[in-house]
Amino acid sequence: MTTADNSTVIDVDRLEQLADIMLPTAHGMPSASEVGAVNSYLDEVLGWRDDLRQPLFEALSALDPATFTVERLSAFLAEDENAYTALTTVVAACYYLSPVVRDRIGYPGQVAKTYDPFAYTEWVAEGLLDPVVERGPIWREAPE
Amino acid sequence: MTYRADVLIIGAGASGGVAARHLAEHGFDVVCLEQGDWPDRSSFPGTRPDWELAIRRDWAMSPNVRNRPEDYPVVHDDSDIEPLMYNAVGGSMIIYAGTWPRMLPSDLRVRTLDGVADDWPIAYRDLVPYYNAIDRQIGVSGLAGDPAYPPHDDYPLPPLPLGVAGRRVAEGHNRLGWHWWPEPNAILSAPYDGRRPCVQRGVCTSGCAEGAKASTDLTHWPQATAAGARLITGARVSQITIGPRGLATGATWLDHAGVEHHQEADVVILAANAVGTARLLLLSADDRFCPDGLANSSGLVGRRLMMHPFSVVTGWWDDQVEGWQGHFGASITTYQFYETDADREFVRGAKWALSPVGGPLNHILPMRAGNEVWGPDHHVLMGQTFGRGASWAIFGEDLPEKYNRVELDPDRTDSHGIPAPRVTYRISDHSRRLMAFQEERATESLKASGCRETAVASMIPYSGWHLMGTARMGDNPAISVVNSRQQAHDVANLYIADASVFVTSSGVNPTCTITALALRTADLLVQNRSEQKVPA
Repeated sequence: MTTADNSTVIDVDRLEQLADIMLPTAHGMPSASEVGAVNSYLDEVLGWRDDLRQPLFEALSALDPATFTVERLSAFLAEDENAYTALTTVVAACYYLSPVVRDRIGYPGQVAKTYDPFAYTEWVAEGLLDPVVERGPIWREAPE
Repeated sequence: MTYRADVLIIGAGASGGVAARHLAEHGFDVVCLEQGDWPDRSSFPGTRPDWELAIRRDWAMSPNVRNRPEDYPVVHDDSDIEPLMYNAVGGSMIIYAGTWPRMLPSDLRVRTLDGVADDWPIAYRDLVPYYNAIDRQIGVSGLAGDPAYPPHDDYPLPPLPLGVAGRRVAEGHNRLGWHWWPEPNAILSAPYDGRRPCVQRGVCTSGCAEGAKASTDLTHWPQATAAGARLITGARVSQITIGPRGLATGATWLDHAGVEHHQEADVVILAANAVGTARLLLLSADDRFCPDGLANSSGLVGRRLMMHPFSVVTGWWDDQVEGWQGHFGASITTYQFYETDADREFVRGAKWALSPVGGPLNHILPMRAGNEVWGPDHHVLMGQTFGRGASWAIFGEDLPEKYNRVELDPDRTDSHGIPAPRVTYRISDHSRRLMAFQEERATESLKASGCRETAVASMIPYSGWHLMGTARMGDNPAISVVNSRQQAHDVANLYIADASVFVTSSGVNPTCTITALALRTADLLVQNRSEQKVPA
């Protein structure tokens, strides 16, 4: 359980059950619970986005894991958009914080890269722009 | 004794920063009032793991979502596009993409050439020296020789990398026989003026922690304050004050604690964006001279708001292109469908800019193109799209309409109790035809570039970065608010430096032109200082 200042208690087990239906084991990817997404990252995510706690609580109150399906989730959007957004945002954020998942999709995060700022001379020399230049000006003359 | 400045500037963003630096460096005593604070680059979220969560709240582009004390709410219940902005030193440049296109000669002559809207009272030629000067001040990366433009000075820095996606789309356009060119960006490709270059992190629109992306807190305010300009942050202006001769005498402002102050000045320059400036002019109504709003004898203050209808067409390849990486300005651009073509069902056109697609959350909770998918198919979708895409960001020329406007809301206020702006805006049928055409061509572009799948996010509501036109420039005071020097027709010592003065919107990102115009306005003020009327 994780508890907020306003005593809104998030039922982690219940959230994990929903998350496993939203993000199940399939197509070579692990489920949410297999990577411990909710258990490992929920506090962190709600620490960053405390505004999601209350609507997440409401989503968990409204959705029963025993009968929950992806189709039910789609219908839930129309019933309570804020709660839907909180649930999908929290589940996705927890899952894609997992290093296992990031490694599987090839995502290192938004990392810094170095490059040669003069490398453009190579593709210019190669002639990549030549067809554009050879067609000539395309701007429209305008009277002063 | 009350201190009186030579020039009071309201707003420390793109236009305010440029004007302040130029005036201070030419000996003017400048005071600037800015409702936000200095940005703290260590707080920018792009290097943090919560980046994609932060951009959905604390770093949202909408002041209504961000809801910081320095923000004011913008009522947009009756608008097809939500106005977006950032309130701080540097202004909305903190969150802009950094693309840096100039306007084209035809952009300033749409009445003459195309029979729509109005011509500007200035020509492209008038802007060229200021475009060149601004490019050097901020350090633009780009490549001269684009045949979509008249020849002009080379950029100070080489172009940013094309990236895998940029290269593929460039080759696709070569196969189609369509124009493309590396996009000029206000983002450093190499060290410049004490600033570090871009590291291709792909988070430009939530603040550039490296300081590679130009914003006036980096490029103009340090020089302005070194030259003596005084910048007061946390200062929210509630009204421009008017003296007995109908001239502006300064502005009343409120500090964080709500304590009221007054700053006197000989000249007032508004630089608060086309929503904020219109709001302030309307708030400054004075029964003696201007009961319907300051400088509003034409009735046009707040009207003709333009925001550039914006669509995104995304394509996905079969293999990885690291689509989350790269400068968010744009790698390449095209003006293939920019100028009017008599065979189309619309006049004018649009500029496209190729951008990254973002991180995992942007794929599964898309803010642009794409759909949410859950269950086993979620993994299929991610496998097919993540890191494999690029987006054409398309801005269509937005023709001015009087019914698109900024007013004062009768109910909503900011945190100081000052009436909030209310925006009414409808995307016209003409714009819808223009954008539909562009979306179809952009889809062709990406398919010709080898993309397996494409998706269109058409005329996205959350896209009002470009705020223009609410105090238009013109020679005739009956149908314009400021003259060609951006001096109010009605108030000889009031100038407007921001994009409120745009007569038409062009189809390009406006910040380059905003700054060129602000520099021109400041320069003309310096040149004509002996003729300037000031309060007694």
